[in-house]
Amino acid sequence: MPERYGLWKGWRDSKTIALVTLDTLFWSKKTIFVGLISFFVLALALLGRLILSYQWVNAPFTPAQVFGTLMSTAVLHFLVVFVTLFYGTALISEEVEGKTITYLFVRPIPKNIVMLGKYLALLWICMVMVLPVVVLSYCILYLRTDLTPFFEDMHLLGKDIGILFLAMLAYGALFSLIGAWLKHSILAGLVYAFGWEGIVSYLPGFTRKLTITHYVQSIFPHQDTAGAIAMLIGQRTDTAEAVLMLILLAAFFLGSASIMLREKEYVLEQ
Amino acid sequence: MTAILQGTDLSKWYGQVIAVNKVTFSLGAGVTGLLGPNGAGKSSLMKLITGQLKPSQGTITLYGERIWNNHGLFRRLGFCPEQDSFYERMTGAEFLTALLSMNGLADTEVRQRTDEALAQVKLTEARDKKIGAYSKGMRQRIKLAQAIAHDPDVLVLDEPLAGMDPVGRHETIRLVRQWGKQGKLVIVSSHILHEIEAMTRNILLMHNGQVLAEGDVHQIRDLIDKHPHNIYIRCSDPRRLAELIVGLPHVVSVRFHPEGGGLTAESRRPDDFYQRLPALMLDAGLDLDEITSPDDNLQAVFHYLVK
Repeated sequence: MPERYGLWKGWRDSKTIALVTLDTLFWSKKTIFVGLISFFVLALALLGRLILSYQWVNAPFTPAQVFGTLMSTAVLHFLVVFVTLFYGTALISEEVEGKTITYLFVRPIPKNIVMLGKYLALLWICMVMVLPVVVLSYCILYLRTDLTPFFEDMHLLGKDIGILFLAMLAYGALFSLIGAWLKHSILAGLVYAFGWEGIVSYLPGFTRKLTITHYVQSIFPHQDTAGAIAMLIGQRTDTAEAVLMLILLAAFFLGSASIMLREKEYVLEQ
Repeated sequence: MTAILQGTDLSKWYGQVIAVNKVTFSLGAGVTGLLGPNGAGKSSLMKLITGQLKPSQGTITLYGERIWNNHGLFRRLGFCPEQDSFYERMTGAEFLTALLSMNGLADTEVRQRTDEALAQVKLTEARDKKIGAYSKGMRQRIKLAQAIAHDPDVLVLDEPLAGMDPVGRHETIRLVRQWGKQGKLVIVSSHILHEIEAMTRNILLMHNGQVLAEGDVHQIRDLIDKHPHNIYIRCSDPRRLAELIVGLPHVVSVRFHPEGGGLTAESRRPDDFYQRLPALMLDAGLDLDEITSPDDNLQAVFHYLVK
């Protein structure tokens, strides 16, 4: 009979696995790549600031508009997707390729706890990589002698961070599942993020609801192209429903990843 | 003998490849050597024993319980894998602490057992060094330490002596024998017969996914001795040497190798042959260039046994 497994032990084990995973994920080549993308986003923020300060473009841009565009394009559809894709697909596949998964699988821990620990590490590293970029971008665009807009729009920053976290929950869980399931997981993830989502987001009808980005766009406080088109064709999902869907999707993908990890045999190459 | 580990009609295949083929065995406390050439199915069997693979057919139980996805059993099991893979950035102590924490031990006990395991494999001084900076032998020893640190009742060691220096080998052999005497079930795999002989007399001989022989290692030795051994000799005058050795009573045949300038003799008593050869060659004034025994490996033994 499989032994009972307490909540406290589950938390303790998932924390240990998260710490081991965090170290492996952070000190990998992926971090260099993600760092480069982060610098690119910051460079865009700097460019936006220059445009605002020197009025290079003859249009009445406000910091809120530039920040919103930056968030919806560079951060949400680019940085968040890449960070969750690279780290999420690596959670299991890197341990299988590195053959270290054996050490975790011969411990008295249910495999769903292994998956949970790894997922916690993923969320942590994603926040560490994305949050400073968002806050710094906000500061770059808003900090000036008159600090009124800086404080006035702070609620937007808070909301954006919350939405980014929800996006990371859902994308992270999906890419963790793909990583636990497929051998060429990055490719599959790229096809989903930039193929499927890229096409379906602009289509009218129910298919839009088969993407994560649809729910994220529905609650996003800024306007972007896809969001504008969605508004035009009246296909946004209600905020509460969208939040709930993102949480449910994350739970579904994470649950599926756990089942995958439990049932799949990882045959390490000799 | 009370059976701790039992396999019944156990098979494992990967697509068209059969790794373990209808194997039935029963093991109790003590050391058992899992012997077989590369590709015999040893590693697959060990992965079945350690719950990393699911049987394709048949059953495998530890203490009467199925192993696959039975996480509670792993409290009683320690596994030293063959592959040289680690969390390279961790120190030896961090590696053991992290893995021991997953065994449900309290923090103080984790620290205590980490120290004990490191001392047992003689890595106390290198405890705070990163594993990435360890030598091959040290890496092998830290791998062994993580398998024994939680004091399991069953130890599965896949090629534990690979890459170790002579002192490390000697020490590991001593430890394996000691664990066996303590009443643990220790399964050690190797493709080198004399390594296993140094640890135990009880072996499970595998070939092509099947258990070829089970029991005392000396019985295997006897089986081997029934077959003539091949000895390849390259010297200044192979024809003259052939005349001399073909008259020896235990020499069964002599074959020439014109391309290499040598010959292969088949002898039923290789020890006698090696003893007589120097004197024969000296008396005839022959110069010896090379002498090797193609039979001096386990692969040849298996070849004989399955013939």
